[in-house]
Amino acid sequence: MEAAVQTAGSEKKKKRRGTFAESRTYDILVKVIFLILVLVIWETVARAHVFGERSEIVFPTVEAIAKAFVSNFVTGYAGTSLIIYTLNSLRLLLRGLVIGIALAFAFSGLSMISRTFSNIYNLCVTVFDLLPGVALLPVVIVIFGVKTGVIVFLVVHSVIWPMSRNVLDGFKAAPQIYVEAGKNLGLTGPGLLFGVYIPAAASYIVSGLKVGWARAWRGLIAAEMVFGIASCPGIGLYINQMRTNMKNAEMYATLIVIILIGLVVQYGVLNPIEKATVKKWGMVS
Amino acid sequence: MIEDKVLETGANEKKAFEEKPVVLEVSHLTKVFDDSQTPGEDEDGQMGNRVIEDLSLQVRKNDFLCILGPSGCGKTTLLRCIGGFEDYEGSIKVKGAERRTPGTDRIMVFQDYNQLFPWKTVEKNIQYGLKLKGIKDKNEQKKLSDQALETVGLSGYQKYYPHQLSGGMKQRVAIARALSLKPEIILMDEPFAALDAITRNTLQAELLRLTARKDWDATVIFITHNIQEAIVLGTRIMVMKKGGEIAVNEKNPIARPVSPASAGYGDYWNRLHAALYTA
Repeated sequence: MEAAVQTAGSEKKKKRRGTFAESRTYDILVKVIFLILVLVIWETVARAHVFGERSEIVFPTVEAIAKAFVSNFVTGYAGTSLIIYTLNSLRLLLRGLVIGIALAFAFSGLSMISRTFSNIYNLCVTVFDLLPGVALLPVVIVIFGVKTGVIVFLVVHSVIWPMSRNVLDGFKAAPQIYVEAGKNLGLTGPGLLFGVYIPAAASYIVSGLKVGWARAWRGLIAAEMVFGIASCPGIGLYINQMRTNMKNAEMYATLIVIILIGLVVQYGVLNPIEKATVKKWGMVS
Repeated sequence: MIEDKVLETGANEKKAFEEKPVVLEVSHLTKVFDDSQTPGEDEDGQMGNRVIEDLSLQVRKNDFLCILGPSGCGKTTLLRCIGGFEDYEGSIKVKGAERRTPGTDRIMVFQDYNQLFPWKTVEKNIQYGLKLKGIKDKNEQKKLSDQALETVGLSGYQKYYPHQLSGGMKQRVAIARALSLKPEIILMDEPFAALDAITRNTLQAELLRLTARKDWDATVIFITHNIQEAIVLGTRIMVMKKGGEIAVNEKNPIARPVSPASAGYGDYWNRLHAALYTA
């Protein structure tokens, strides 16, 4: 009997430790090896001059891209470092995100209070969510002219609709029992909105943030490429300038910058938010 | 006037028990759900589903009223009307004041043990209600929530989040939250029904221990399917039939503490069983 208990115990222990294939180190190792493999293949293709004389443009060597990465920041284009472009993009993005998220909350909140507003707003969300920001750009330029505000407007447009859709869905999905428990404690109107509906919709809000951020980031780069004026230097414009100057290594290096910023936001901002809220509260598995 | 009547009957033992003031007065309560909510359940060919028809009921201070009834008899609806969660016809008065919306004088403990706010720790769940009730002093909040948790045997779990607790522990916190607000009436809708049998028995015993405390002055309406639970916990027992008809409403005749070995337990169980299952 005792022996049986012991075996069961040790089995449990073994399971908890797991094999190497189940470990976190393994997960990271696989990714690192894959990345190195991609670089090796890239370098091989670059050195083999697979594309003939175009090869240096299509496949610059890893070394050339790395050098371009540095020179992007040190010398930049026409005396302006990529840092200036990047900071400018991020500034516009942040402004747009803050406005877009605030408006999404405000309008979604109003939808909870007024049925008429809810009907109209739901229609707006459905319609405008289908409209890519870049498609809207010509119209906006015609109306407002060429100003940096236009880019902010587009970021707001990219973030507000998916964010609103998530917040509205989250409010709708708020478990009735939390709402009734809240009412029982004396909450009504805005108190109920802030005290119950918003926290209850937390997992929807977090996924709204993820979708909203991703859309905004894409929208921003696209708008900057189409917009393309030197008075408004942004990462999108920078890539375009590299293309017109046949500086393809710099172009690739800029793409890496875009990816890196995405990673920083994902792991440095969004994941911590998720960890501090819905994961901590056990609202997602 | 009601007190006079009791005096006239001259039952001294009853007098001591029933002289306590009426806390809750339900008169001529009728609740109709419209067709869209419960299709095809109407027997009278009338519009809508009359779940409760002309129900009147009085609950006195310190009563522990257990309501037994088959599924669909309207007992949960009755509790939800008292809690202010449903519209109704008739009147529901708490200490003489009409109540139609939820409030902290009637705190509901739901059957679903996921009634705590998952985004707040155990103690914050309790303190939130206190804060909304107007107790702004943080030390006072802390003192009251600690007290309430100690009452339900959960000292040391202040900083836990609800998802870290078992179902039984969550129900204890829900009861602590209700107690801390010192409501006139605690409404319990089968609070232990979703728990396993052992946890259920433990919580029954604890609730019983709580009601036996000297400082216990709450009034409870407790819904259950379980005859044993009603006899063990209730000071009064009520049996509801379909349409909200009250078949039995009387003082629990079995002396506390109740066990299946208590004198008269078997007979009383049979009587309630018969009342419950005869049309």
